[in-house]
Amino acid sequence: MLENPRRFVIAMSLATTAGFASLIPAGADEVPQDKIELCTSCHGEAGLPPQPEVPIIWGQHFYYLYVQLRDYKAGRRANEVMQGIVEDLSKADMKALATHFSEKQWPETSYRSEATAAAKGETAASAGQCPQCHLGGYEGNSRVPRLNGQTVPYLTRTMLEFKTKVRRNSPAKSSLMVSYSDEDIENMAKYLAGL
Amino acid sequence: MRKKSVTGLATSVAFAALLSFTGSAVAEEVSGGTTYGDMSLVTQDMLTRAGGDGNNFLHTNGNYAQTRYYPARQINTSNVNKLRPAWIFQTEVVETMETTPIVVNGVMYVTTAFNHVYALDAKTGKQIWHFKHKMGPITTYCCGPNNRGVAIYGDRIFMGTLDAKLLALDTKTGKLLWEKQIANPELGYSETMAPSVVNGKVLIGTNGGEYGVRGFVKAFDWKSGDLLWTFHSTAENSVGVWATHDATGRDMLRDIEAEKAALAKLGDPYKTLGGGVWQNPAVDLDKNRIYFVAGNPSPDLDGSLRPGDNLYTNSLISVDLETGKYICHFQYIAHDVWDLDAVSPPILTKVKDNDGNTVDGVLHAGKTGHVYVHKADDCSLIRYSEAMVPQENMWVLPTKEGARMLPGANGGVEWSPMAIDASLGLTYAINLHQPMTYHVESTPYPEGKLWLGGAFKVIPGEQQWGNVTAVDYHTGKIRWKVKTEQPMIGGILATAGGLVFTGEGNGQFKAYDSETGSELWRFQAGAGVNAPPSSYTVDGKQYIVVAAGGNTQLNYKRGNNIIAFTLAD
Repeated sequence: MLENPRRFVIAMSLATTAGFASLIPAGADEVPQDKIELCTSCHGEAGLPPQPEVPIIWGQHFYYLYVQLRDYKAGRRANEVMQGIVEDLSKADMKALATHFSEKQWPETSYRSEATAAAKGETAASAGQCPQCHLGGYEGNSRVPRLNGQTVPYLTRTMLEFKTKVRRNSPAKSSLMVSYSDEDIENMAKYLAGL
Repeated sequence: MRKKSVTGLATSVAFAALLSFTGSAVAEEVSGGTTYGDMSLVTQDMLTRAGGDGNNFLHTNGNYAQTRYYPARQINTSNVNKLRPAWIFQTEVVETMETTPIVVNGVMYVTTAFNHVYALDAKTGKQIWHFKHKMGPITTYCCGPNNRGVAIYGDRIFMGTLDAKLLALDTKTGKLLWEKQIANPELGYSETMAPSVVNGKVLIGTNGGEYGVRGFVKAFDWKSGDLLWTFHSTAENSVGVWATHDATGRDMLRDIEAEKAALAKLGDPYKTLGGGVWQNPAVDLDKNRIYFVAGNPSPDLDGSLRPGDNLYTNSLISVDLETGKYICHFQYIAHDVWDLDAVSPPILTKVKDNDGNTVDGVLHAGKTGHVYVHKADDCSLIRYSEAMVPQENMWVLPTKEGARMLPGANGGVEWSPMAIDASLGLTYAINLHQPMTYHVESTPYPEGKLWLGGAFKVIPGEQQWGNVTAVDYHTGKIRWKVKTEQPMIGGILATAGGLVFTGEGNGQFKAYDSETGSELWRFQAGAGVNAPPSSYTVDGKQYIVVAAGGNTQLNYKRGNNIIAFTLAD
């Protein structure tokens, strides 16, 4: 009966996505193909982004993805490329795209973290009580993103952007990141990416 | 006499019920197996008399007074060393477990993270049914996908969900009978507490003090699910008396003039002021009153956006059971900026006042590390105990760079319920020592996102530990204290066998002599034992049962076990 917690959370994620289907406005379940292609051109056709600064979104949680799209559009999360893309997205488009990508399988990366950096990263993440929200194994849930297996350059950049307030859509995260050195952030990124 | 006959009847019923489904996992076979009618029904009388029921465990905290004192003594100080696992049940979900097993006539109900419910044969651990809540896509919760269990009444059990719903299930089949949306999960509302049921009302509060909710306790009709009343735990006039000192008389360093200026500019902050109520109320049926505690104000660390005392956050509150109308309150920390709030569920018991008279009292263990002793009649404070954990730099204000203060923001005492042994006048608490720094940064209300107004950080390299502490509530003195390797979270059970049971993050589940604190027994459960234990008797054998699933908040090793112990033959 023992079950891998990662498998369980993935199953939960799929289950919650299925549960959401009835809430999607009529027509929103027709995923606009051209928009999917636009997404995959950067985020990867098989889930692994060609540029590691771009985050993995395949298998990410539905509500997290939806909120990020909404925040890009509202200007709460600054990114030149994404702001141009979300400009034409309706709320239904955003929900449909978030649903589409959340239902995909998270891709395997070949990244293995170096032990010393990972240990330092784990200590730093524990000090910030990060698992309280990101849960065991950093699987995330609903509006809290999965962090394990994400790319190092993206994790580093996004934590630094919280710290420097370039990214403003999660104020509690900014307050926390301000208390970390850049080296701590780099080590946390390596630790999380290697999980 | 009456108590005895009820207990005897329950034993017969439990035995008969067990005979009826031994050897089968089919839910329907639970029903109709008794000589005394359909005793799978839980009556108000059973719930009222639960404190003297040595067979069942009917309330999350044992009884309406929430003493977590179990009256059976078959397992006691002289034989607890012979305690062995009777069975282990593995749930489908390997995640944080905070459930209190509820046991009725030989059937046990337990919950897991993400709102699964299991009905088990309490004698064998065999599964009777399994219910998985169909979770909505939007959940917002701090500190783990927890659930602390079910309430039971009639032919139904009740559970709150992470997506802020209240569910009623059929006890025999696990079938969903009704569900009600309690509040909007998108705005930070969620449910992790077990509901309480009394006189046909299902009582439940809310989480969300880290998200700018407006806290409440609601009463729903057990049969229809209709809302009967709502008490908001943030008052429309939340300003209060501009208290400058806490309940123990320490100066909280408030800048009252700055707060008054902010009040004139911002208005009363009650709509996003937090004050979550996420632990069970104690019920005084004679006076038709309930007592509960309300948690921290939102945002946790930034007081600049919420001028005033922030009533009724960080308070013991009493309301009328029939109407939900306010009766009295006592605020421990006005305008809290440390998240050292009131969480552990209150206990009703007789206490000595400062003149030596015995009066109806209320006990509460604060995150400050004190046990507070109140007069039940008007909520006033009689005394507070010696500090159970180190306190340093109280109340230094949070700073941008981070100010060190003890206790850390997890307490003191977290949500973990205490237990008492009234014959000894002792209350038992489990403690945390976790040095932290408190950081403040003002940010506007983020509409359902995490809103701490800063950050709490554990200080790497500083030693952490826990305690099990017995406090004499008639004097406030610590009677005994046992140190544990790690900060403690979960809960404790006292029994008439002279024992207290509690578990640790490292997997140890231990029994102590309730009078002296001597460790008498331990068992390694393989995962964090961070849930409150229960006890029950089936077929003449007393059991102790606890969940071992670890804990998200303190990141203790996860598991998925429900373990029932009984004496070796």
